[in-house]
Amino acid sequence: MEVRILSRKFDIADAHLLEVAKQHGAYATLDKVFAMPPADVTDEVKNSGLRGRGGAGFPAGLKWSFLPKGVDKPVYLTVNSDESEPATFKDRYILTRDPHLLIEGIIICCYAIGCHDCYIYIRGEYTTQRKALQFAIDEAYAAGYLGEKVAGHDFKLDVTVHRGAGAYVCGEETALLESIEGRKGQPRSKPPFPAVAGLYGCPTIINNVQTIASLPFILANGAAAYKAYGTEKSPGTHLFGISGHVEKPGMYELPLGLPLLEVIEKMAGGVWRGRKLKAVIPGGSSTPVLTPEEAATATLDYESMAAHKTMFGSGGIVVLDETVDVVELTKNLIDFYHHESCGQCTPCREGLGWMLKIVKQLLRGEGTIADIELLRELCDNIEMKTVCVLSAACTMPVRSYLDKFRSEFVAYATDRPKPEQA
Amino acid sequence: MAETVKLFVNGQEVEVESGKNLIDAFKVIGVEIPHFCYHPALGADGNCRMCLVGIEDGRPPLVPACKTPVAEGLKVQLDTEKIKKIQHDVMELELINHPTDCPVCDQAGECTLQDYYMTYDHQASRMRVPQVLKGKKMDFGCGVIHDQERCVLCARCVRFTRLITKTGELGIVNRSDEARVTTFPGRKLDNRYALNVVDLCPVGAMTSKDFRFKQRAWFLSRSSGICHGCAKGCNIFIDHNREKGGDDRIYRFRARHNGLVNGYFICDAGRLSYHQENEGRLGTTRLAGKDCTIDEAVETARRKIENARKPLFLISPNCTLEQMIAIKGLATARKGRVSGYSDSYIMEGDGDDFLIRDDKSANRAGFAALGIDTTLEAFRLALNEADLLVNFNNDLLRSEASGTFTEKLSALTVIAVSSHDNTLTRKATVAFSVSSYSEYGGTIINQDQILQRFTAAVVKNDPVPNMIEVVRLLGGPVTDDVTITKAMQDAIPVLAGIEATAFPTAGLNLKEKETDHVTA
Amino acid sequence: MSDRSHLIFTGKPFQFDAERDAEFEYLVKRYPSRESMILPALWLTQEQEGWVPGEAIAYIADRIGTFASQVYEAATFYTMYNLHPVGRNHICICRTLSCWLRGKQEIVDYLANEIGIRPGEISEDGQFSLEEVECLGHCGTAPVVQINGEFHENMDVEKLKQLLSGLR
Repeated sequence: MEVRILSRKFDIADAHLLEVAKQHGAYATLDKVFAMPPADVTDEVKNSGLRGRGGAGFPAGLKWSFLPKGVDKPVYLTVNSDESEPATFKDRYILTRDPHLLIEGIIICCYAIGCHDCYIYIRGEYTTQRKALQFAIDEAYAAGYLGEKVAGHDFKLDVTVHRGAGAYVCGEETALLESIEGRKGQPRSKPPFPAVAGLYGCPTIINNVQTIASLPFILANGAAAYKAYGTEKSPGTHLFGISGHVEKPGMYELPLGLPLLEVIEKMAGGVWRGRKLKAVIPGGSSTPVLTPEEAATATLDYESMAAHKTMFGSGGIVVLDETVDVVELTKNLIDFYHHESCGQCTPCREGLGWMLKIVKQLLRGEGTIADIELLRELCDNIEMKTVCVLSAACTMPVRSYLDKFRSEFVAYATDRPKPEQA
Repeated sequence: MAETVKLFVNGQEVEVESGKNLIDAFKVIGVEIPHFCYHPALGADGNCRMCLVGIEDGRPPLVPACKTPVAEGLKVQLDTEKIKKIQHDVMELELINHPTDCPVCDQAGECTLQDYYMTYDHQASRMRVPQVLKGKKMDFGCGVIHDQERCVLCARCVRFTRLITKTGELGIVNRSDEARVTTFPGRKLDNRYALNVVDLCPVGAMTSKDFRFKQRAWFLSRSSGICHGCAKGCNIFIDHNREKGGDDRIYRFRARHNGLVNGYFICDAGRLSYHQENEGRLGTTRLAGKDCTIDEAVETARRKIENARKPLFLISPNCTLEQMIAIKGLATARKGRVSGYSDSYIMEGDGDDFLIRDDKSANRAGFAALGIDTTLEAFRLALNEADLLVNFNNDLLRSEASGTFTEKLSALTVIAVSSHDNTLTRKATVAFSVSSYSEYGGTIINQDQILQRFTAAVVKNDPVPNMIEVVRLLGGPVTDDVTITKAMQDAIPVLAGIEATAFPTAGLNLKEKETDHVTA
Repeated sequence: MSDRSHLIFTGKPFQFDAERDAEFEYLVKRYPSRESMILPALWLTQEQEGWVPGEAIAYIADRIGTFASQVYEAATFYTMYNLHPVGRNHICICRTLSCWLRGKQEIVDYLANEIGIRPGEISEDGQFSLEEVECLGHCGTAPVVQINGEFHENMDVEKLKQLLSGLR
């Protein structure tokens, strides 16, 4: 099942070092790329069908083409390495095991979009990862892959690592820009979109680490080679993270389109401790949960997940076994999103706190059926009324737990026996 | 009118000014879009979500009106069930952590939360869990008291200190429902416009130490006025009330919008200058320091003026054009000299590039318009020759610099016509108590040549006469409206072409009119 | 989140040491706007002091040329900035989804019962402080504990015992 495109060098000892990485082909695409007109690079990426790997899945090449032409302002690339969505742990493998793949991707992207200043926004928690990345960047500068003349070509490029400091919302691209500009990570209203007015008011492209790291393969082997993997609408490979109640949790690079349960079974060894499957979170904590029946027909691509009324998200799969208390799980999730609400928009700021208190009250045995109805209604009242989708990232999965596991909530509101604790 | 666009609101075609956002454009045609965070002077922030409106066939179909410019053919939905529900839902969420302490809140009666609750919410609370607790009665400095629990985090106050005063004392710390407005320890509010945050705050989170617990908002009469604190002539609301058994009294000034003069704001000194309308007044008419009837005072004063060989008529730079014209008429009739000397009103270097002016008087430009001399040389000459000083409310000795006249003044007979008690009224043989600017109407010209009119706000139980009435009693020949108006039109010809009822509410830019005249 | 607005002032003036000063001057040139230095400067402070005292916030604001309120906002918004002193060993335990599913609570309970520190507390000897944090991005090797910035994966009580004894 596994494919080695992004993870090709992950198991090679010391592949994070420039010398080793180069022995295995790092920076080999650059001469080819610099011989192409920038527009052709963008076209190649467009043709590959590469979709943003941060969670939203927006076509990367198309995003680049939104940059206004002939504007007398610098263009910025901002690499989103905030990776904060619970159950998502893919980008950090790139940062620590093959950072030069990312740097090579950055050079390709910057050449295509005419950017000479790139900022990598890395979440503050990634301490060792940041050091690894900075080490690689320093090596790349020393070897002339970054700086005044990138790989000997007449192209200047500076890359700066900007550290976050503990704010999930900074994964939202405009919150990320605010954070680089020194402010609280509060998302901006759109329009204007960052491609028009982004970092420091200049045209800006924001791409996820994995998206950028996919570029060297696409440029080296062509769009068709990339499209050979995955499905028609979801081409390529993805770094899937499988966590929760499985025998072998971990990160696996797979083509898109594989059956969800088969992947859980074959790659992650299935549900742990011989237990039964209760549910699967398909793409990070913000994606609506799938029951075993739904999971049985789902495949790991954007279309199938949409057809199952959930999302591909960040490819962070969480397996829940039969012992999971869904009400506790719901509390854990609301707690997270409430904690991370930037505090800007009224519905999210006030509403998530209210939801958390309601579910806590339910868990204390002090809740009523009316509280469950209220919780459900609040999901509708809050969702999509805000500047960004953080509130929806909470209400969408919570709604799915309320709808698909209602009896467990009801049990807390009545005297019926509670499900066995995990 | 500027360029317009045609669009639809609730299916009905309307024509509005282009270049505005939906909130401002619709306000003009009487359609309210509820909002907390948007303020025309502070721009659109988009955090409150109260102004979400539907756009038929729009992508996206739901937009914040504050961030949406009017556009030809736009189909805006305000009355759909969906929008009404959003407004209700946002109100519910605004209120869940609000203390609802309206009975002890100064904002009650003029609170956006209260008003919107009645219009858009009007439901019983469903909140059965503990509220978030935050800071109460925090002293933010400059007389601003903050209540974090009442706050809806619209950030108007924060944006005011960052965008307008550029002092940035306020910030919103934390995130989630723990977010709160505060100041950095040791760096409280420290600017001369700080109290505007009280006006800006749509709820009772920002209150003025000066006004707190003094009056319920619904008892106050709001009259329009013009601040007389400096030569800017900022537009204000004079909020006053006659309490049972008491007199009509001013409780506060608030900023009143005038795009030509002060925009949405006023300075703190001006805001608090209402105290001088309530206190320090002359109160009674006096003869040789003792209270007397106005008839007694008039008789003595007339005799002294008639007997004077060289009377000097000194006029306050706060007098209206009408008052100045009347006084000038009296002086001419009595062959006296007129001076508008009032350097004591100028505080060199005190002004700024926003609203505060060095000149602490409201109508100095009126002197120039009426040809009244204000120079020190002329005043000194006249004073040295004078055997009588008739002072119309000019606080000549208000600053130390003007102390040089005390010697001469001590030998001089003084008649004071004054709204306030000062050094000159105390030494005056006759002192007439007259009304002050919150009690009369008139015309003034600010430093920028904006001519403005205002009307009386406060009506005292025992009104003292307007200065013009005293001038009439003293034999002034130009004291009736018709004659004064004619004199004003002679001095400022552009006024002749404007019907009193058609006078622009924002005032008349005299500079502009002159230019218009030249180009025509 | 809980209220983070309460700042602690040491009563001593703050400034960067020579190393941080040089780092600040290097970094400031990487951005077109000085305000971009707010987060990096707060990090430099925390590296130098272990936490961010009130004086440092004023220092950063003045050095960057921005409002203290703006630095204060950032310091309270981003939860990784310690606004009070922490233990010599600062333990962060992930409390979110996958770590919760795989038994982070046992570790929290162990620390509360055996070491005597609960989330948000610092041990009496100043040796350890504990904080429950949101997802640390190590869900595949959950539960995860981060001590002084170093990740320790697939954590359980036994492994933690050994780890802590090595730190004492």
